[in-house]
Amino acid sequence: MTTVVSCKQLNKIYQQGSIEVHALTDINLTVEAGDFVCLSGPSGSGKSTLLNMIGGLDSPSSGEIMVDGQRVDQMNKSELAELRLHKIGFVFQAYNLIPVLTARENIEMVMQMQGDSKQYRHQLSMAILKEVGLEGLENRRPSELSGGQQQRVAVARAIVDKPCLVLADEPTANLDSANAENLLQLMRDMGEEHQTTFIVSTHDPLVMSHARRLVKLHDGKIIENHEQH
Amino acid sequence: MIHTASLLIPLAWRNLWRNRRRTFVILFAISLGVWAMIFTSAFLRGMSQQILDDTIYNLTGHIQIHAKQYLDDPVIDHRFSLIDDALFDSLNHPAIKQISARVRVPAVVASEQDSTGVTLFGIDPENEGDISFLQSSIIAGRYLDTAADPGVVIGKKLAERLETGLGKRIVVMSQDKNNEIVDRGVRIVGIFDSQMDGLESSCIFMGLQTSESLLKIKNDVSEVAIILHDSAQLEMITRQLQQENPHLDIQSWKQLEPLALVITELYDDFHIVWHLIVFLAMGFGIVNTLLMAVFERTREFGLFQSLGMKPGFILAQVWIESIFLIVLGLVLGNLTGWLSVLATGDGIDVSAFAQGMEMVNLSNVIPFVIIQDDLLLANLVVIILGMLTSLYPAWHASRLVPADAITRV
Amino acid sequence: MAGNWLLAWRNIWRQPRRTVLTMLAIAFGAALLVFSIGLQLGQYDLMIQNAVRLYQGLFQVQQQGYHDDAKIRTSIPGIELLARKLRQQSGLDSIAARANGFALISSAKRTYGSLVVGVQPEYEKYVSTLPGVIKQGRYLSSDNAHELVIGESLARNMKIKPGDEITLMGSGRDGSIAASIIPVVGIYASGSRELDRQLVQMPLAAFQDIFSMQDHGHAIVIYHEDVKQQSQLHAVFKDLIADQQQLVVLSWDEIQPGVKQMIELDYSSGWLMYIVLVAVIVFSILNTFLMSVLERTREFGIMLALGYTPYNIGRLVMQEAFILTSIALIAGTLIGLGVNYYFYIYGLTFSGMDEIARMYNMPAVIRPQISPDSVLIGPGIIFLFTLLAALYPASRIRKLEPVEAMNHI
Repeated sequence: MTTVVSCKQLNKIYQQGSIEVHALTDINLTVEAGDFVCLSGPSGSGKSTLLNMIGGLDSPSSGEIMVDGQRVDQMNKSELAELRLHKIGFVFQAYNLIPVLTARENIEMVMQMQGDSKQYRHQLSMAILKEVGLEGLENRRPSELSGGQQQRVAVARAIVDKPCLVLADEPTANLDSANAENLLQLMRDMGEEHQTTFIVSTHDPLVMSHARRLVKLHDGKIIENHEQH
Repeated sequence: MIHTASLLIPLAWRNLWRNRRRTFVILFAISLGVWAMIFTSAFLRGMSQQILDDTIYNLTGHIQIHAKQYLDDPVIDHRFSLIDDALFDSLNHPAIKQISARVRVPAVVASEQDSTGVTLFGIDPENEGDISFLQSSIIAGRYLDTAADPGVVIGKKLAERLETGLGKRIVVMSQDKNNEIVDRGVRIVGIFDSQMDGLESSCIFMGLQTSESLLKIKNDVSEVAIILHDSAQLEMITRQLQQENPHLDIQSWKQLEPLALVITELYDDFHIVWHLIVFLAMGFGIVNTLLMAVFERTREFGLFQSLGMKPGFILAQVWIESIFLIVLGLVLGNLTGWLSVLATGDGIDVSAFAQGMEMVNLSNVIPFVIIQDDLLLANLVVIILGMLTSLYPAWHASRLVPADAITRV
Repeated sequence: MAGNWLLAWRNIWRQPRRTVLTMLAIAFGAALLVFSIGLQLGQYDLMIQNAVRLYQGLFQVQQQGYHDDAKIRTSIPGIELLARKLRQQSGLDSIAARANGFALISSAKRTYGSLVVGVQPEYEKYVSTLPGVIKQGRYLSSDNAHELVIGESLARNMKIKPGDEITLMGSGRDGSIAASIIPVVGIYASGSRELDRQLVQMPLAAFQDIFSMQDHGHAIVIYHEDVKQQSQLHAVFKDLIADQQQLVVLSWDEIQPGVKQMIELDYSSGWLMYIVLVAVIVFSILNTFLMSVLERTREFGIMLALGYTPYNIGRLVMQEAFILTSIALIAGTLIGLGVNYYFYIYGLTFSGMDEIARMYNMPAVIRPQISPDSVLIGPGIIFLFTLLAALYPASRIRKLEPVEAMNHI
């Protein structure tokens, strides 16, 4: 098994006025390819910070992060953008989609930035829309879709171009349990089908139950890290 | 690059219309500004062309030839001969459209009632054509027939002042070439009404040969006025004539009428100053509106970044949006500017300020004139400065930190 | 109440960048208007001062009809007595009688038609700058002297200098021939092309003698340095001559309508530009006002729920606009005033100014007027228009429903 993500001695310290806030303390974490990892813990425990850092949206105060063999903490803005574009997909809690683009355009956007041909994009996006069960809704804008549908589009966009890693930050927080269950099933299916690694942050027990590996954070430290099932 | 552009352009266009009211307000500000630039330009251009036309086509011409000293001391003594081979040769130039030779000396005219000082013009009516306003402004009687016409044409104001009129006789007095006072009774065959009171009350016109015989200066003239086919050749032809006729004083209208030159140049400078002022006034609005658009989309820019869009493309996205805005404003402004110039027809009538206008050598109707250069200048100022200023909000969008942007609600 | 102002103050600083940009737009407009209105008024002051000071006076008392048709017969009898009476009764010394005529004047070589003016040397120096700008020789010595002064250009053209005699020939008031040989004692250089080229002055008594005027004259020139007192003074002199119905008191703007009209034309075109500029600025900042209301819908909903009335909130929004506009206007006005003060001390000039100045007989340096008018008009207009612009978003608050507003994102 290849390692997709590895964090070594990761620290993040925020300066809030004159007070230092230790958001993450000495995090060591390895994620293997094809894994479905759940980061759990109460709010403020550092889940989102850790996710952001793996995705290169935020930089650590010390320590190193490797994603697919590359040092994320040493990249500049433009290299980070390249990394996210080609290797990482994101799903956020809400506001995942660009409001002025239709569902299909949202999905195709990443491919368009990668330079894929129109025909290829079209093919792929229609296929993935079908897979996530949104066939026929491809020309709707986000405001015309339900919350669950929006999150499905977000998942479709995250995996459409077969990234090695998808980071999902509380993807089910705004969904009712039926929709959340659906979405999780979708993510797992997609992960298995496309051989994609998922790291999902949550405090939803439902999500945790779906995870293959469960990582618990508390006050910026990993207090538990074990495989399930 | 190209693929991204095909993503960014529709994105920018759709974003522009996300808040229609706000876009319409700023679009109105830009269009109003551009309209103001174009309309004002057309007005100023009309004024300055009018000044130039009134200067050049009211007796001055593009180039004038005098005897040395005449301009200092415009009297009969300072005259020159037209039967001069060198001069004749150099005036036979393809660039020269028209040549008008004149006698132009101070004189006194007297009616039975009153007398006053005037400038006496001896002209060849056939050659004055384009140069002078005279032929087209006769309101009673007729224009001079030939250079030997025995009658005179005088202005309406002068006729009123002398309490005389068409068909009546007046006495013209001047000095002949021997400095003797000569006088002759002549009949008024025509009255002209110029838009300029000064000309109307201070000039009388008689045939060139009639005036030459009165002043005993056969074949001599005081001045030759020249009209060129193309005013762009002004400097070159002037220089050439000067070199070929060193014994004569040859000057272009720019030297003869420095005031007209200065005023038209000032107007030209003012175009730029005015454009900059108007641009500044709307520039603040453009920046502010775009900044609002950027800040309320903070989350979205974070999302773009997390999806792998490089900061440069985010900058481009906002920049393209602002260029759409500016270009739309330009189109509307140009259109309304052009329409409102059309609506003014021949120009605006400022005869209420007639005497004030005359002080700056202007007649009573100012046409609005749109020329390519002025349009270009206005549009360039707006597009270039507009693109530069909107770099600021675009730059702001590109340097948002993704994590902050995403987590901000 | 005070709490409301404090709240308004805090609210405008919630978006410091937007507020500052909006203030900059307003301040820019205010500074520009203060500067250019100050400059315009300063220039007009100068033009009027020069028009009045040089020769024509602030008022002239003339026989009815003389101004329109300056005939030698349209004269005022006993003009010196009348001038003395006006001096005594008004308490002003700067009142002088004149008589105007036309004559041919000849030197040994040259003859020109010229305006001949009889003046009272003792009082002329109070109403005109001519006596003070003698370049060669001296000014007229006494009321009875038989001598004259002549303009610089005319002297040059006639090739005469002080001490030379000239022959003067014209027609007298009774139609007789007016002729005299008279010595030139001085040459003046007024800077006005018109005067320097065609005007000669002699003592009034000599003029009356030569032109058979008896005790008549044509105008009593009244000068006062403060043009602002024009209307009061006009009434005073009108009263003083009320007993002579055939006399009129003409003001400078009737005597020289060209100057007045030029100012009016310039003023109206200036205003057109200002209005357009203010409109561009207002639309530029309208978005700021609009957004500051629209993006706070939720907040206003909560305020409504807490018991504020829509009127209260509308007033709060207006207070915010008021504070923002006032600060910007004060800053802009101070900047404009500073610039004006600088140019007031050091003078403003630009290339080409010399030419224009000579034409209109002004100094080549403009000093902006610093007066309540020049400082307050521009910012006042902007203030008015900005508050009007703020009314629109404020009026939208009336339509808010608390629950709906609170649910607004």
